[in-house]
Amino acid sequence: MRALPVSPFLLKRIVLFFIVWLAMAGVSVGDVIAGLVVATLAAWLSFALVPPGDARLNMVQLAAMAPGFLWRSLLGGLDVARRAIDPRMPISPHWIAVPTSLPDGGLRATLGSEFSLMPGTLVAGSYRNVLLVHCLDTNPGARDQVVAEEARLRRALGLRRAAPAHE
Amino acid sequence: MSDWYLAIGIGLLLTLAGALFRVWRGPDAADRMMAAQLTGTAGIALVVILAAASGDWAMLDVGLVLALLAALAAVAFVKAASPNGAGDPEEDDLS
Amino acid sequence: MILDAITMVLTLGGLAFFAAGTLGLLRFPDTHSRLHALTKADNLGLGLIVLGLALQAGTPGNAIKLVLIWALAMIAAGTTAQLIARSALVSNLRKDDGDRTR
Repeated sequence: MRALPVSPFLLKRIVLFFIVWLAMAGVSVGDVIAGLVVATLAAWLSFALVPPGDARLNMVQLAAMAPGFLWRSLLGGLDVARRAIDPRMPISPHWIAVPTSLPDGGLRATLGSEFSLMPGTLVAGSYRNVLLVHCLDTNPGARDQVVAEEARLRRALGLRRAAPAHE
Repeated sequence: MSDWYLAIGIGLLLTLAGALFRVWRGPDAADRMMAAQLTGTAGIALVVILAAASGDWAMLDVGLVLALLAALAAVAFVKAASPNGAGDPEEDDLS
Repeated sequence: MILDAITMVLTLGGLAFFAAGTLGLLRFPDTHSRLHALTKADNLGLGLIVLGLALQAGTPGNAIKLVLIWALAMIAAGTTAQLIARSALVSNLRKDDGDRTR
């Protein structure tokens, strides 16, 4: 087995896991020692399962996205609850296709998860480089929202520029 | 407060029962897969409400485990429904 | 006393959203619309309940744990919704295909 690769990414993950451990186990002396061991092992395992990719997580920018995300997921819940309760049930479901330049895989899935919690949109994965978005109602702004959020996500992940989207 | 929590818990169970009606009736496999979603959100809500009702906060750990397993349950459901069993819907040709 | 009242309002609100989600699940005409209702309403319901209980949790550790539960549930909900939506789309297309060739 190779020696532990010590890199800033590994350290970052150890710190993250350690914080989660402290939140769950508490802060007595024994817990802290066990936590350090467990966090190191967890970070090592996560390295083997999910090696660091091109994305450099910018925690500050990611945290800056959180309030907007929470607010719009609140609106999403209110919106769909209103439509479900309204006796006239004002919905007109349809599909739109939104081109994306995010790399296939985890990042695209993150954007998809996010938009599945936003008002009126639900993502059914992508086909080639097009996100398949289900809209609950006529929503002319949906396409722009996806594009804008993709740009924000791209910044928070430190991806420099859009890769050329190709069919 | 404990009575209040129990009342909320009963309410949650009723909404869960209503939702299970859809899981039972289908008509599509996807409608039944929503059971995975339900065990995720409604199940966790019930466990944390019961934790508060009984004052036994160790039950939160159960909620934590449920939350961790919720995504895996969905993956298992989708895997079981896909024709080749590989369970990667992205691989299917949409053309 | 006031804290108790806030908790009651929040948990009742949470229950209301779960009920709305179930209503949508029963009323909406197609699979993907029903998935909208289930994902968004239930997730918000869980958020409100967790918030209400966090006020009563006593120790900060419990409150953090509650928020962690919600965060995990939210990630799971987003992933689940996407997976089921994709699966339903693929099986719908396959069904259409079968109808056409038959």
